[in-house]
Amino acid sequence: MLFAKKKKIAPTAGYEEKDSDYVLEVRDLVVHYELENETVKAVNQISFQLKKGETLGLVGETGAGKTSTALAILNLVPDPPGVIKNGEILVNGKDVRSMSPMELEKVRGKDISIIFQDPMTSLNPVMTVGEQIAESIFLHEDVTRAESFEKAREMLEMVGIPGARADEYPHQFSGGMKQRVVIAIALACNPRCLLADEPTTALDVTIQAQVLDMMNDLKMRLGTSLVMITHDLGVIASICDTVAVMYAGQIVEYGTLEDVFNQPMHPYTEGLFNSLPSMNHKEGKLKPIPGYMPDPTKLPEGCAFAPRCRYATKDCSKPLKPRYVSDTHYVLCDAYDNPQFHIELQRGGEACE
Amino acid sequence: MSDPILEVKNLKKYFKTSSGMVHAVDDCTFSIQRGRTLGVVGESGCGKSTTGRCIVRLIEPTSGEILYDHQDINKMNRHQLKRIRKDMQFIFQDPYYSLNPRNTVYQSIAAPIKLNKLMPGATKSQMEERVLELMDTVGLAERMINSYPHELDGGRRQRIGIARALAMDPQFIVCDEPVSALDVSIQAQILNLLKELQEKKNLTYMFITHDLSVVKYFSDDIVVMYLGQIVEKAPAAKLFENPRHPYTQALLSAELLPVVGGSKKRIQLTGEISSPLDPPDECRFAKRCPRHCRDCDCGMPGLVEIEPEHFAACHCIGDL
Repeated sequence: MLFAKKKKIAPTAGYEEKDSDYVLEVRDLVVHYELENETVKAVNQISFQLKKGETLGLVGETGAGKTSTALAILNLVPDPPGVIKNGEILVNGKDVRSMSPMELEKVRGKDISIIFQDPMTSLNPVMTVGEQIAESIFLHEDVTRAESFEKAREMLEMVGIPGARADEYPHQFSGGMKQRVVIAIALACNPRCLLADEPTTALDVTIQAQVLDMMNDLKMRLGTSLVMITHDLGVIASICDTVAVMYAGQIVEYGTLEDVFNQPMHPYTEGLFNSLPSMNHKEGKLKPIPGYMPDPTKLPEGCAFAPRCRYATKDCSKPLKPRYVSDTHYVLCDAYDNPQFHIELQRGGEACE
Repeated sequence: MSDPILEVKNLKKYFKTSSGMVHAVDDCTFSIQRGRTLGVVGESGCGKSTTGRCIVRLIEPTSGEILYDHQDINKMNRHQLKRIRKDMQFIFQDPYYSLNPRNTVYQSIAAPIKLNKLMPGATKSQMEERVLELMDTVGLAERMINSYPHELDGGRRQRIGIARALAMDPQFIVCDEPVSALDVSIQAQILNLLKELQEKKNLTYMFITHDLSVVKYFSDDIVVMYLGQIVEKAPAAKLFENPRHPYTQALLSAELLPVVGGSKKRIQLTGEISSPLDPPDECRFAKRCPRHCRDCDCGMPGLVEIEPEHFAACHCIGDL
């Protein structure tokens, strides 16, 4: 209470005001998993901000630290062995890391909520879907149980499931419908920010298209900010405004969708695009990235991508600094010290001409 | 032109469950030409893996003929089957579960060679040489020969699966979603490898996948399946250029392109997916079909050749 009062009259009020332009702010986040004889460096100095109504795509391969980032934002990193070593995570201007469990309970689901990767295992099999949606409404809002159930039915209708099915159990739904139920739970209290961790990976393409269309629609209607975590560049292209490409726990390239997709700068981003079989060009070979991801317990000095990078020089072992190409676009690559440097994108496709 | 290495005629596989017969594969007919790749596409539960498993007789088909090199596999006894399986191999979907965790890379690759007595009287060092040669073909480093699967990542494990299939020097390989469990950069490595091997050894592939861009890149001919039935069959270029079946059209429109503003207008499928449990005698796609007409409820549509080599199964195909 005292703290809240103090805040109101503090001279930094103007700063606070400005800060809350961002629904979510992550600064210099470092997440490690400390095992008995080694340390897995999952997330290394990540920073990004999310405005109201904005959709940010976090794209990267397995082990890039995408999910660890999402868990850290909700302070859900399993501890032990996970430790948030450093960083600030501000949700609506409030620091998540310094919150008590009670305060966290209030923020989770209300200010910020998460859709987990696997719809098959993130629902409780012995509760009806209506109960599961109503639970979060009852916890966060000043309503009676009956009212929360009524709202739960409305939520189901909103994601395109007949309200009458609220009394059914998860096993009675198909995969796509379960994922809609999970989305309904996440949206039940109108969160200002939603983290979606590979929400469509487990689904078939026609169902994936339905779920993405629905999320796009809800985003427009409710003004929710969204962090979309995925490894699928097609999903990113269809829903995101800004894109952060992650590799070995760092954001190696960040920019608007157009920046990153039309003018990729980082050699890893180039490699990702070149690895995709194109629907339009069948001839010739794919150009995969040689080698494998570095072991996160023994990351190389300097640029983590250097061992797989065809442009790498011996200077790549020096510490990196983000390099701004434009106001909205930065890349973590020292090769751009040389103004002549550019990557050779070989992707085929009609829209990139 | 016509030299089919594999012909499948009226293949059916029904599974008996407590609530009725599941028609997993229902009356599928297709053939694969030597040295070409047949892509089988469809969503989960459409029977594509079951078809693949029936072809190598990992499961017994309910009825139908499978002719490999003009010999019916279903009529073979154990002995004949063992011999023919040297020619036809299988690459499994999940590199995490298809390897014995207690066997080293050497043991996994050498096992089929020993079992089939391919190198009778070979000494340990000759065997090791052959295993190393296979590992080299699929791009596994020599030092991994004594590693266990848990020490390797998905891409390398899938390479063991491929090396093991190649150990038999097969003519024909069924690849059941060989790259779906892998990251894109590794996926491209494996696809390149499979393509190189095909060119070098004139291999024939049956490539089962749900990923449309992969199947287009990889296959010569494509079969689209829906709830156990083939709904469209055509050379890859024709199918992608001019899909005729409403389901294929919806499927292709749902593919998300990794380009800004690249997504086409999507055809939304509504309605319930029909149950594969004792399905009635009608078009199985009718309930979700955007082009549903009166004919759709009367009888199952058969595959009709609408253009040379282009087949589709739809009652309304004439009206298009």
